Amino acid sequence: MAVGGSFSFEAIGTRWQIDTAAPLEPGVRAAISGLVEDYDALYSRFRPDSAVAALAAGGGRLELPAHGAALGRLYRMLYRLTDGSMSPLVGSVLEHSGYDAHYSFIPKGPPAPARAWDATLDWEGPVVTASRPVTLDVGAAGKGQLVDLVGGLLTGAGHTEFLVDASGDMLHSGTTALTVGLEHPYDPTRAIGTVQLHGRALCASASNRRSWGDGLHHVVDARTGTSVSTVVATWVLAADTMTADALATALFLAEPDVLAGEFAFDFVQVFSDGHARFSPTLNGALFTP
Amino acid sequence: MKDLEAGSADTRTRSLTGKRVLHALAAASLLGVAGCAGTAPSPGSEPAGEAASSAPAEAPASSAAPEASAGAEPTEAAPAASDQTYEDGEFTQVGSYVSPGGTEEIGVTLTLKKDVVTAVTTEPMPSNPTAKLYQERFSGGIQGEIVGKKLDELKVDKVAGSSLTSGGFAEATDLIKSEAKL
Repeated sequence: MAVGGSFSFEAIGTRWQIDTAAPLEPGVRAAISGLVEDYDALYSRFRPDSAVAALAAGGGRLELPAHGAALGRLYRMLYRLTDGSMSPLVGSVLEHSGYDAHYSFIPKGPPAPARAWDATLDWEGPVVTASRPVTLDVGAAGKGQLVDLVGGLLTGAGHTEFLVDASGDMLHSGTTALTVGLEHPYDPTRAIGTVQLHGRALCASASNRRSWGDGLHHVVDARTGTSVSTVVATWVLAADTMTADALATALFLAEPDVLAGEFAFDFVQVFSDGHARFSPTLNGALFTP
Repeated sequence: MKDLEAGSADTRTRSLTGKRVLHALAAASLLGVAGCAGTAPSPGSEPAGEAASSAPAEAPASSAAPEASAGAEPTEAAPAASDQTYEDGEFTQVGSYVSPGGTEEIGVTLTLKKDVVTAVTTEPMPSNPTAKLYQERFSGGIQGEIVGKKLDELKVDKVAGSSLTSGGFAEATDLIKSEAKL
């Protein structure tokens, strides 16, 4: 894709770059900035004025925009497939681990499990109701959904060839495939392989990944409150970025075959002992000695 | 791992006396993912299909350690010794970074010669290698051992991922800088 327009900005704690074949109109840029700002104001745990901060303070009812329904459905599905390990209530676990709005990094005690979804939270369509104060954390899929929303805005404005790249979580549209390097989990100057990205989304997750206000994306098992350290890095290719983002986290917590029953995706998992697993249809290469 | 921890306790390792520590790091090298046998999950915890992963730690080292050299050799005449800011030699430090499971550590060894870093080796040291049982049936492919290639040498349009250790690496190199200072 010959790049006709390029738009870079910092948002939700990460660097964004949008490349388009056709020049990017100022009006579209402004719309993207507004979209990102609204999303951040909705979900950021790190902003005292966000909608989820209100939920954390007093519980109650929160009516999300229409896209909140898809996010809730995805989380509910993954909550089931991971036997409760992946949960939007993981936020309380992260805070308990010292990963709080003050970045204290001081654990508040031994790992504590998140509250069970059904006892605490009702997420029906775009409406979230919490029976008590809860820290709602959509960090495992929110950035991906925001990439999709930005992509939808570009499509709506007539763009057919583009790449939305939110620091490695990316959505591609167009006729020419991209070759994307899979960054070595311990060495940013190296790649452990490459994949072809063509007309879909690619997301990566690593076990101490930081994103979303420098923090929401950490992989924590919501049942036990402990981290998952066997899988050290994952990549997922899927039709939409929200799904790819969520599955990149889910692959730390569930078997690929379990997830494949409900989702269409390709993946790479790298383990702490250096071996990797990948989907049989992966279009790419992993480097061997 | 014992070697490394010992090495970090007496943090400076001179080139003549410090082969022990350097060797421990080099054996793991930048592919420590593949090499850190001491912290890998026990083979018994994973199904036989993935046992190919337990490659000996030495295997990746021979191919990868030479590539670990990050510093460019000086081509210009090096400054006179009296102008040097840092002592020549091999220095090992341990840096830490915060992961969801707590603080993780990474070992970093730098070789300094006339203020130029001529070699870098790192060894991730996951302190929390929780073994997790995976189910027997898995339909995808397994790659027993993967290695990194220099991004400079690859033709890629984009890079996806986030390295685990950049914070810990920076911390360790800062410590080495302060120690090696003349």
